[in-house]
Amino acid sequence: MSLDYVKFSPGFDRFMPKEYRDMVNHGPFGKKTTVSQMGSFKEILEEHPMCAGCAMTLFIRLAMISFPNPEDTITVGTAGCGRLAISQAAIPFVYGNYGDQNAVASGLSRGLKLRFGDKPKDVVVMAGDGGMADIGFSMTLHSWFRKERFTTIMLDNEVYGNTGGQESGMTNKGQVLKMAPLGKKFEKMDMVGMAKLAGCAYVATVVPNNPRRVESVIKKAVLIAREVGPTYIQAYTSCNIEYSIPTDKVMEDANSVEGDRYKFEEYITDDAKNYLANRYGYKIYQEKPAAALPKA
Amino acid sequence: MYLVADINVDICAATSCKLCTQYCPEANTILYDDNAGKEKGLKYGSAYVAVDRCKGCAQCVWVCDNMAKHHAITMTMIDQLPKAAITDRITYLDKGTKAIAAPVEVA
Ligand SMILES: Cc1ncc(C[n+]2csc(CCOP(=O)(O)OP(=O)(O)O)c2C)c(N)n1
Ligand code: SF4
Ligand code: SF4
Ligand code: SF4
Repeated sequence: MSLDYVKFSPGFDRFMPKEYRDMVNHGPFGKKTTVSQMGSFKEILEEHPMCAGCAMTLFIRLAMISFPNPEDTITVGTAGCGRLAISQAAIPFVYGNYGDQNAVASGLSRGLKLRFGDKPKDVVVMAGDGGMADIGFSMTLHSWFRKERFTTIMLDNEVYGNTGGQESGMTNKGQVLKMAPLGKKFEKMDMVGMAKLAGCAYVATVVPNNPRRVESVIKKAVLIAREVGPTYIQAYTSCNIEYSIPTDKVMEDANSVEGDRYKFEEYITDDAKNYLANRYGYKIYQEKPAAALPKA
Repeated sequence: MYLVADINVDICAATSCKLCTQYCPEANTILYDDNAGKEKGLKYGSAYVAVDRCKGCAQCVWVCDNMAKHHAITMTMIDQLPKAAITDRITYLDKGTKAIAAPVEVA
């Protein structure tokens, strides 16, 4: 993981597929690409088998564009729809057993720190709500309590999408699904509250109907996780199959869910604010000069 | 046969919004050509679709109609497109991309 691995071995470039050559010559590695340049550079995400119109796919696409240093990033995932796309990108992807993603990421990020010291090497977990809030729940929470420095992103489609529509802890109360025919009996879990309680330095909820906002929260979360502490992003990424959303209405649904249970919310500790201000020049977190005293 | 998105250059190149590509779920699919439409005196360049990557969800149509309010995208049967871009015929440039639009052969 460095710029060295995104170049051709001498003499081999002409044997590489077009997509690979485009990625090396016009990809985002070693450059600062942004959401506003989309459509003008070769993205590192390739073709994958996720469903047409899936909002999770869009979110993953935006996330990959938003990583501050893609050449120094490793993604970690688990069973679930998202891995079908996350694994098809020119970024190393680690796939563990279902639910153990935050345990794997803990070992990985510690190992990278031992090996590379202060050189930034970013570990980003992306997993579904079932993988994170149900099966991987203890490993997720414990990694936060241990203050492991990596980013955790929940791809919350409020259902087990990959296995055909079982309820998860993140499904809303009363929701009827193919394999929850009587409706869910319990409330949606408050993972955001738990992330704050467990000591995350940055927590945000986001919906992919606002690409620039997705970019901003991902950049902040990855940068803060380098030195300050664990960070958590919870993204609403609807499953148009299990929730029967027509694919051309996915953004309409995203807008209405944002107005309902997924309002944009950002929590950031003072340490994290100072770090972003001093290390990365974030103006919004720089201390404002004291207001002039009113004249007597 | 199946539907893919088709962008009207005359409408798109008269604006500079570049919105649809930020909402297409598929990577490297709606691309931008800074020079498209310039020969007709249109100012801004246009988006176009790499139809071999388009999954036909029509999310871009919703975005162009409702957010950009430009109505430049329609869903069209892939074998009805007189010509279209596919990945093999796309060149990435230092700024933007360029495509040779030609009839698409569908098996
Ligand atoms: C130990 C184990 N149990 C069960 C499964 C089967 N399995 C695969 S994906 C999945 C559900 C995924 O749901 P979620 O994590 O919410 O992700 P989504 O597919 O909705 O994105 C399950 C139960 C598995 N792969 N491994
Ligand atoms: S099943 Fe649902 S979450 Fe999974 S790829 Fe399809 S639409 Fe997306
Ligand atoms: S949203 Fe419509 S007008 Fe805007 S770039 Fe896309 S096709 Fe062109
Ligand atoms: S129809 Fe869907 S996949 Fe095709 S270009 Fe539009 S948004 Fe992208």
